[in-house]
Parts: sequence; structure tokens; C-alpha cells
Amino acid sequence: MKSLFLLVVVFVAVRSDNDDHAARLLASKSILNQFIVEGKELTVEYSIYNVGSSQAYNVELSDSSFPEEDFQRVSGSLNVKWDRLAVGANVSHAVILKPLRPGYANFTAAQVKYYPTEESQAVQVGYTTAPGEAGIVGLKDYERRFSPHIVDWATFAIMTLPSIGFPFLLWYRSKSKYDVKHKKN
Amino acid sequence: MATSTKMLALAILAVLPVLMKASTCIGPQVTSNVYTTSEASMSISTVFVVEVAVKCNNGEKDLLLFADVNGHMVPATQSGTGKFQVSWSDEHKKLPAGTYGVRFFDEEGYNAVRKEKRSGTDGSTVTPIFTVNVKHSGTWTGPYVQTEFVATCVALLVWYMAYRSKSFLMS
Repeated sequence: MKSLFLLVVVFVAVRSDNDDHAARLLASKSILNQFIVEGKELTVEYSIYNVGSSQAYNVELSDSSFPEEDFQRVSGSLNVKWDRLAVGANVSHAVILKPLRPGYANFTAAQVKYYPTEESQAVQVGYTTAPGEAGIVGLKDYERRFSPHIVDWATFAIMTLPSIGFPFLLWYRSKSKYDVKHKKN
Repeated sequence: MATSTKMLALAILAVLPVLMKASTCIGPQVTSNVYTTSEASMSISTVFVVEVAVKCNNGEKDLLLFADVNGHMVPATQSGTGKFQVSWSDEHKKLPAGTYGVRFFDEEGYNAVRKEKRSGTDGSTVTPIFTVNVKHSGTWTGPYVQTEFVATCVALLVWYMAYRSKSFLMS
């Protein structure tokens, strides 16, 4: 009798409450850059997945971690919404920004708001993953390492001309004198 | 009396389509802004961002748009009244330079395309509300040859020419 009673208790406790048919959104935010350089594009990609058992309604993504004075918007919008997100579906959103200042930047999470069911009155608030802290390289440092330096090489070539050209000129002068003598003979 | 009821029924039938809320756009005026990744070091995958601002002749404000992106149907993100954004990304190799056509559908069109896809065809016969052409000039992954390599070759060439003429003179 006791074991049966225990079994019933365990069964009731273990029975999970998954029958509420609500949407559950998982969101990720990632920076697609290999290098984040001042004055060059910064690509941010957001992905939202619905892993719940119902459609999500009025899904709103808003990112306020890129202040206007530090990041210039190139393409895409930081406050967007989708009407519905079906069960098991995922959407991705990309924003292109341009960092205006070098230094360390902390990329924090963006906010996702949605209604888990059609009738729900309370909005569900969630957050994306945060890429964390990253350094924004100054443009001069990046170019010193990565630009083709064509002007520098051209300058170098011009600078080597005297040390190569001067002896060559001397030799050529004496050669042409010798050739003239040879022709005379 | 019968005719008056008939007339009433006809009148209602005529008015019904206007009363029904059909979120479709008649005569859309579209301004689009397109961005594609230009340098591979700035992004590990090529990203396309298409921003459109749509103005409908019938003043439709609650438009829901879906876009056909490389054979995949995605809902267009709403970034304001009449403003939509579609973005997608893939590896650099899979998105070479060229023109990509992005077709935009309303709900009716979206359902039509889904039905066609379920019956096996690729849904390309459904007319979109409008199409945006995305011109991608390719993602630059670096110069063909490094300038250091070119400089080394030129230096070796100059040395070789000098060496040859020297050995020729000495012989």
C-alpha cells in the first residue's frame, strides 16, 4: 500500500506541465566581424527561434546597446517587429553599423518582447545572448597591418633608384664611349 | 417585394469585398535600399540587407509582407509603418557576385507559393507584389598577390639582370 501511494505521489510530481501551449523564443545576437575596425562596417546578426508549442505574436526586437554617437547606422534597423512567429520557425535579422571611435566596447544583449499566446495580455520579455566585450581597432593600426602599402613600396622603389641608377649610369657612359671607339676602328 | 429583397442581397454582395479587410497592396510605390558585404574580413559570412519603404495606392497600412529569399520564404521584418527589411546571410562561396531577385508577396501570394511548393513546383509562377534586385559585386577577400611579393619579384628581377650583364661582361 505504502509503495503504491509513493508511486502515485512520484507520478504526480514528475508529470510536467507542458500542456499550456505557449510560445517560447530563444534569441541570439552575434557579431560576424573578424576584426572590428573604426570606420569600417560592423555586422550584427540576430536569430530568433520559436521552441514553444504555440505561435508567438507581436514579436519585437529592440537593441539599445549601440548609442548614436558611437555607432553610425549603415543599414538595417535596431527596432523591428514580426507579426507572428510559427512553431519551430526561426527568423534572422541583420544590422550594419560603423563604429566611430576606437577602444573597448561591451556588446550587451538586446531585448525581445512577445505575446506567448493569442489571448495573453501580459507581454513576455526576454533577452538575446550578449557577444561580450571586444576591442575596436583604430583605422591607422588596422591599415598598418593589412593595407597593401602601394604608396610605401613606390616610394621605396624611387628611393633605391639613386643607389642603383648612379653606378649604372657611370658604366653606361663608359660603355658608350668604348662602343664609339670600336666603331671608329 | 421579392425584387426589393433581391436588390438588397445584390447590393450587399457588391459592397462585401470592400467591407472585408483584405490586406493587399494596390499599386505599390517602392523605394529600396540594399547593402551587401564588401570585405570578407568585416564579416565571416556574406550578409545581404534589403530595406524597402512601401506606399500603397489604396492606403493599406497593415500590410504583411513575405519575401522569397533564394527559394526560402521568410516574413519581412517591420521596422516602421510601411517600412520592411529582409536580411539573409550565407558563406562567401555560396553568394558569389551577381544580381539576386527578391520577390515580395502579401499573405495571399505567400499562401499561394506555399501551396505550389507543397504540390512539388517551386512557386515561381505566382506573381509577387514587387521585386527588388540586389546587385552584389562580390566579397573582397584580399588582393590576388601581395604587394610584398611583387616588390620581392621586382628586386630579384633587377638583381638577375645585373648579374647576367656582369657575367656577360666578364666573359
